[in-house]
Amino acid sequence: MSGPYRAVHWNRQKKVYDRWVVGGLLIAIGTFIAVTGALRPEFTAETLIIRSTSIAAVVLLHIVLAIGPLARLDRRFMPFLYNRRHLGVTIFLLGLTHASMATFQFHAFGDVNPLVSIFTAYSRDYAALGDLARISNFPFEPFGVLALSILFVMAATSHDFWLRNLGASFWKLIHIFVYVAYGSVLIHVAYGVLQSERGLAGPVLLGAGFVTLFTLHFAAERKEARIDAVIAPLVEEGYAKVCAVSLLRDGEGRPLRAGKERVAVFLSGARVYALSNACRHQGGPIGEGKILDGCITCPWHGWQYEPENGKSPPPFEEVIGTYPVRVVDGDVYVLPRFNELGSSCPGAGVEGGTR
Amino acid sequence: MNDEFYIGYLPSAPPGLARRAKRVVLTLIFLGASSVVWLAASQAARPAGTFEFGTVRTFEGVLIERPIPMLRVSPPEGLEGEASPLVLVGFGKGGLPEFARGHHGAQVRFRGTLVIQGANAMIELNDPESFEVITPAAAGDPTGEILSLNVTVTGELVDTKCYFGVMRPATGKVHRACAVRCLSGGVPPGLLVRDDIGGSAVFLLAGTDGAPLDYDVEWAALAVTARGALELHGELPVLRVRSLELAH
Repeated sequence: MSGPYRAVHWNRQKKVYDRWVVGGLLIAIGTFIAVTGALRPEFTAETLIIRSTSIAAVVLLHIVLAIGPLARLDRRFMPFLYNRRHLGVTIFLLGLTHASMATFQFHAFGDVNPLVSIFTAYSRDYAALGDLARISNFPFEPFGVLALSILFVMAATSHDFWLRNLGASFWKLIHIFVYVAYGSVLIHVAYGVLQSERGLAGPVLLGAGFVTLFTLHFAAERKEARIDAVIAPLVEEGYAKVCAVSLLRDGEGRPLRAGKERVAVFLSGARVYALSNACRHQGGPIGEGKILDGCITCPWHGWQYEPENGKSPPPFEEVIGTYPVRVVDGDVYVLPRFNELGSSCPGAGVEGGTR
Repeated sequence: MNDEFYIGYLPSAPPGLARRAKRVVLTLIFLGASSVVWLAASQAARPAGTFEFGTVRTFEGVLIERPIPMLRVSPPEGLEGEASPLVLVGFGKGGLPEFARGHHGAQVRFRGTLVIQGANAMIELNDPESFEVITPAAAGDPTGEILSLNVTVTGELVDTKCYFGVMRPATGKVHRACAVRCLSGGVPPGLLVRDDIGGSAVFLLAGTDGAPLDYDVEWAALAVTARGALELHGELPVLRVRSLELAH
């Protein structure tokens, strides 16, 4: 949320999160080096660095991509979402180490600039794309460069400074490209190391990762679709009957559809409030949040808004829209048209309703 | 339904969520480490080799530029016969360096770094200042012991510097760009031939009649078929290539 600028708002939970990330990586990289060193002592140290960092990056990329849908499917995964950007930056640093070492090892000290060599070492095989008999010869290096470039842009813009200056929509658009990076990584691996190492481990694990991610995203999308499928038709004076008051729990929200709008409906004591379902921070689902200390709290990163006017509590300055709401005969009605931004809207009493 | 609500900027997570998160992390670490063990164990074994990086020795012998840059050294005292010659390359991804060229048949001395893989030995000439010609001499092109005048072999085109031990692994697609750079820089090409029971041998590829081998360096790491005459220089098999083409 807005406030005095500090590069990183370190807190205990962030430190705990990062300690687990570093610890997990050390275990993964250390395990790879120890096992390879024991079974394949002929491998060079450079090979161990190139391979261990890339494996760690690919494993972490799968975890990052799983966190989003898991958090949508089960709120108990929210602790992993909060500092997900730390994982993204870590993946970029691992990828950078892998790429730097590979460039140094395979392209440096030759007769062509290493950065040019990455793209041109066997450039005639770009034509293999149209030749099924030779398609496995297609260069894999450019896909790694593409993935690393995307990861760099994402890591460089991961700070809330960029989120605020680029705007949430554009920022999210940039970060959707993580799926392009993932696809590029799959091709990079399939056309690269999987052609040199013919064991089952690589294809099986990569395939299992892909199936897992696809299933999680599909399940999360279906859950979203179920919310969107229940479209409350507009009835009296443009209001839509969105749900019965009895379905609301005190202090909790519920994402619902009013006409084409997705609204967050909250019950706080004896009053019902309807607000925009999109958090000002990253578009998080406000309706899946709770009311804490009198404020509606986004489940993603804890940004808060007062239910009566959609304003963040001072000194913060963010505002989300509120909707006119009524309660009639135990049912909640929402007019899917924002009140004036920041204006006071007292919500609706649950006993007898208010207009 | 779990009523705990997570907020990352608070000092601590709700206890139930924290416990579950810890279990999930430990499970992930276990799964990740298991996957890593499987991946590491599934890597194919490669020939061992040694690159004495950082160690510089002094070498003396007759410099041979054709058909492959080599140094013929005298056998150690007390031993008879000719010691196997050592292939000569330059620093990085380069062949015989400029400062050592034009001395075919001369007795020379220089400092360099050894690359050894079994009977295959190579010297990286990385100290131009140390190179000196002891006895200028003109020698004809050496001919090795001719084993066969007509040989056809199919295998992977490799750069011998990496394959002899500078890089391990030094074959296959992941190493292809490096092999192209090395071959393009003048490192002698080799043909890695494998049999069905795990054995392998490398034939150094050279041109015929003193001419340099004419081939496409982008064929590195691909299967090629070479035809020509096979000679043995010491223990180094050299194939004087009459034709080289991609295998299908």
